[in-house]
Amino acid sequence: MPSGLLHSLVDPAILFFVFGVFAGLVRSNLEIPAAISKFFSLYLLMALGLKGGASLAETGLPVEGVLALLAAIGMAALVPAYSFLILGRRISPFDAAAVAATYGSVSAVTFIAAQQFLRNHEVAFGGHMTVAMVLMESPAIVMAVLLASLVRTRLARAAPAGTAAPPLAALSMRAVLHEAFTDGAHLLLIGSLVIGYLTGEHGAQVMQPFTGAIFKGILAFFLLEMGLLVARQFKESKVRLGPFLIGFALLMPVFNATLALALAWALGLARGDAMLLAVLSASASYIVVPAIVRYAIPEARPGVYFTMALGVTFPFNILLGIPLYFAMSGMI
Amino acid sequence: MRPLEHKKLLTLIAPREFQRLLVDTLQKREVGGYTIVPATGAGASGVRSGLLASDSNVLIYVIISEARLQLVLEDLDELMRGGYRLKALVSDIAILPRKPAAGADQ
Repeated sequence: MPSGLLHSLVDPAILFFVFGVFAGLVRSNLEIPAAISKFFSLYLLMALGLKGGASLAETGLPVEGVLALLAAIGMAALVPAYSFLILGRRISPFDAAAVAATYGSVSAVTFIAAQQFLRNHEVAFGGHMTVAMVLMESPAIVMAVLLASLVRTRLARAAPAGTAAPPLAALSMRAVLHEAFTDGAHLLLIGSLVIGYLTGEHGAQVMQPFTGAIFKGILAFFLLEMGLLVARQFKESKVRLGPFLIGFALLMPVFNATLALALAWALGLARGDAMLLAVLSASASYIVVPAIVRYAIPEARPGVYFTMALGVTFPFNILLGIPLYFAMSGMI
Repeated sequence: MRPLEHKKLLTLIAPREFQRLLVDTLQKREVGGYTIVPATGAGASGVRSGLLASDSNVLIYVIISEARLQLVLEDLDELMRGGYRLKALVSDIAILPRKPAAGADQ
């Protein structure tokens, strides 16, 4: 077994994820209280932002950092575009737009796990990659909402007179953008990044007992909860994804990661940054984007986009994807 | 004892993401009183475990007159026809009012 994969699988946080999946599959009544679970996810974002901001304050934004951010924005625009084109041939256009938005955005937890993996392998990465993560969260949402609006307009024109569904009263680009940019988790991440940057090294040291010493433990606990959730979602979801969508959820992350690594190689990014760019491109959002898509593209089926992102892509990336992308990044 | 008043209880079961939208819908019809309770469950959209913000439901209870209820139901019907997935339950209730109706015996 490749050493990177083995090393990843014996990480306590990853093993707790596997344990959580096992506990969920055997229908254990193990349960993390919802309020604590929500605190964990906010804590992880806060710690991520603070550490990223402090790192950015220390190193500044070198030319390589600017290139990494441009590559991130490029991937954030490309992935939803071609995902929509591929999916639109096989599933409803609204489902296609929602899945494209999900896969065009990022998973903060997958990013955090990848950062831990790099630290375990003593591979450095820039604090600007947290900024890259922030930049990659929202473009896909905007693109998906625009695509869904186009589809609605097209369907309304094609429908016989008087039969078209009424335009959604609550839907406006302004409302969607407001939701996207004021989402609590998203805002906390940005705020923490700014605070981490402003307080720099001194702030990082002051916060170290909170964002450093207990970080791995809380990550392990959170991944335990995610394992339980993945198992439940996969077992109890009434939507049967089918081979095409399961194949998309497994193969598209690898394709996106490969494309990101090719871009990173062309721009001359360091290994750590390249690998994180690959992970960001390969991950799918199951918190911020599904919440916004449910509101902005209500015609889409949550059982499709949420189950794909959480039930298939997330466990794949956590268990196999991260070591795979790391191995691939070593080849460039 | 103040007499019971007959009202309607509107119960909405919806994803937490719709909470602000639904409250705005109620307030548009001058419904100022409601109670919101976090909820979990499962349905055609999948499991709502309550562990993530994107994975939680809410119950919104509204005590409302028949006349205002009809207006709110029209708004909810429009949202549902637009694709929003939520449930609206209507039941008859009798409520002991905080303030007795004008002219009623104390």
